[in-house]
Amino acid sequence: MDFDLTSEQLMFKEQVIKFARNELAPRVQEYDLRAEFDFESWKKLGEFGILGLHFPEEYGGSGADVVTVALTGEALAQGGADAGQLLAYGAHSFLCADTILVHGTDEQKKKYLPKLATGEWIGCMGLTEPNAGSDVASLKTRAEKRDGKWVLNGSKTFITNGGIADVAVVYAKTDPSAGHAGISGFIVEKGTPGFTVGQSFHKMGVHASVTSELFFEDCEIPEENLLGIEGMGFMMAMQTVEWDRSALLAPTTGGFISLIEKCAIYAQERQQFGRPIAKFQAVKHKLANMKIFLEASRSLIYRIAWCKDQGRPLNHLEAAVSKLFIGDWSLGPTNDALTLMGGYGYCHEYDVERFFRDSRLAAIGGGTSEIQKLIISRMM
Amino acid sequence: MNFDWTEQQLESKKSIGALFDKDALDELDKLESADVPEIKSTILKYMKLLAPSGYLKAAQGPEGAGESLALTAAQEEVSQASSPLFLAVEATVRLFGGLVAGFGSDDLKQEILNRLAEGEILAGVGISEAEGQQTTAVERGDAYALNGAKAFVTNATIADELAIFGTVDDKHAFFVIQSEAEGVNIGPKLETLGYRGLAVSSVELVNVEVPKSRVLGPFDDSAALDYIRMVEAMVLTQASIGLSRRLLNTATAYAKEYKRGGRQIIKYQEIGFKLAELLTLVQTAEWMGRRAAWLVEKGDSEAATVANCAKVFSAESAEFVASAAMQIFAGAGYISGNIVERGYRDAKYASLAGLSNEVSRMTIADDILKRYQI
Repeated sequence: MDFDLTSEQLMFKEQVIKFARNELAPRVQEYDLRAEFDFESWKKLGEFGILGLHFPEEYGGSGADVVTVALTGEALAQGGADAGQLLAYGAHSFLCADTILVHGTDEQKKKYLPKLATGEWIGCMGLTEPNAGSDVASLKTRAEKRDGKWVLNGSKTFITNGGIADVAVVYAKTDPSAGHAGISGFIVEKGTPGFTVGQSFHKMGVHASVTSELFFEDCEIPEENLLGIEGMGFMMAMQTVEWDRSALLAPTTGGFISLIEKCAIYAQERQQFGRPIAKFQAVKHKLANMKIFLEASRSLIYRIAWCKDQGRPLNHLEAAVSKLFIGDWSLGPTNDALTLMGGYGYCHEYDVERFFRDSRLAAIGGGTSEIQKLIISRMM
Repeated sequence: MNFDWTEQQLESKKSIGALFDKDALDELDKLESADVPEIKSTILKYMKLLAPSGYLKAAQGPEGAGESLALTAAQEEVSQASSPLFLAVEATVRLFGGLVAGFGSDDLKQEILNRLAEGEILAGVGISEAEGQQTTAVERGDAYALNGAKAFVTNATIADELAIFGTVDDKHAFFVIQSEAEGVNIGPKLETLGYRGLAVSSVELVNVEVPKSRVLGPFDDSAALDYIRMVEAMVLTQASIGLSRRLLNTATAYAKEYKRGGRQIIKYQEIGFKLAELLTLVQTAEWMGRRAAWLVEKGDSEAATVANCAKVFSAESAEFVASAAMQIFAGAGYISGNIVERGYRDAKYASLAGLSNEVSRMTIADDILKRYQI
């Protein structure tokens, strides 16, 4: 057992922190207030090589392992990258691109991955529907084969990057009678007739990410846009879970590292009753809570990443534990951080306000905490 | 990075786990109502059984830090089998033994460490004092005269040797005394809420003569006290994890067996989801304990802080787990004399033992503030 990162990984981590601090963080507040996607930061993420980090070199990536990708997520958040931007990166690189990388044909990989690696194209993934959230198998979007083409009908909702994506991995029923086994994956490009995108949702947090509905009305796509094997869609969607439970959660630990630093400095500077508030036990108690959560969450995330690197099949129980813990147990210490900063914590300039809103998503997106409990209790 | 135990560690977990079969667990569960001589003989019996594996001499003293993870692997098995056995053994070999191995003279090491490793003697360490009291010693030729009192000393009534924390001209020192020595007055075993199988009592010291060869220190710094505080945090972490594990397993088995409305109660979300939360807490605490051990092994500057984080988290988790396990057992758990009822009482201990959770949190925060000093 050994929780160490290699010296290369540590060096890379430092570079990513510096990159995020210098190149991304300065625009974060502005884009959160405007509730807009920051294309300039996106371009920089692509240029730095983060968007395709784990892709093989032939597709414009660096062939990084999952642990390195997870520590990148941690480092980006530590350096002050926006959680919405990181969510967009997750949806793009893991939910969309990785599914193409793992299940796509050579042609599909050659066509999409290099553009996704640079960020020239943005990807999204469409699974959730207005009436199919936690109950994925009940999804209604239909794909039928007609005259050598696939015809899609239905709608998707809560799709991260939906409104700005150039390419979408979309799940639809090819056999409505077959439940999970009747779901297949498809690649749909922006501009395909019959494919439209709704307005962006006004969300509680992650404002710098675009979340939209997708509509398919007799949307015809070529036969070769089937992704992977017909009927294997649910399995493909589930394979992204390891990314979801490691690299996509890693920003929470990075965010807490940064939060602890901010709160520690604030508590020493802020004077009340003639002394820095860092002298008060009630303030120190909150700092300690943040640290305890940070230390508790670390191993959970990297365990999932490391196991994937070993080529082990996903341990659903461990993945659910990781997601449930970070989703639910982060809320108390996040609230502690906001309380520590008082009125300033409630205001936008102090970042904690944004972090507080953003962090609420972890217990909802990518499988709610209740679904994690369902998975765990069934496996006990 | 590697999240697996080594083959050797797995082997050690297996062989130590095998010591605690059903008969052993029954016998250890009886510690709860045992008298002091029975407690002593039972603990010594299991010390002897643990001795061949090397468990009793692992990771003693700062020099033994390299064995911390291997020790954690084994501790997870012992702590799950019996909370009082675990603490009695750890107080003897890791706290007392750790002090002697790390800070004792060669003579003292020679005199004591082998006997500890063989499971021949029991020992304890006395640190906590009542408000207003201070244990101090004055030099008297080749010895020190020790005076003071310790409020809660684990193993005091069954120990052969005790290490008592005190000061000499405000400098820290530990005094290794025989419990039978003149001037050592050991109080009766305290009646406690939980951990009734653990022999805790007060110790009064009246002009106890301690030869210099049996004194660790006086030290110019707090290294020895800091060390013992860290070991204490690690031990209490594993005690909480072991207790939580056992309660979780017991509650899970019950929820699968017990039926209401024709269904196993685990099938009801109110029960199944509660168990899922408990499992999440227990796994998280386990990984935190392992990571803390790894940091200790590396000599990382954050090791003590993370050990405190693990102690607070695992102790509070144990209280939560014990309360929820009781809730799942309901009336069947509330009746005296079952594991869940005992666990509910035992779980409080780790939150207030060693550095209390309150002091631990302040220590964690102090370290953060030091790291980000403006």
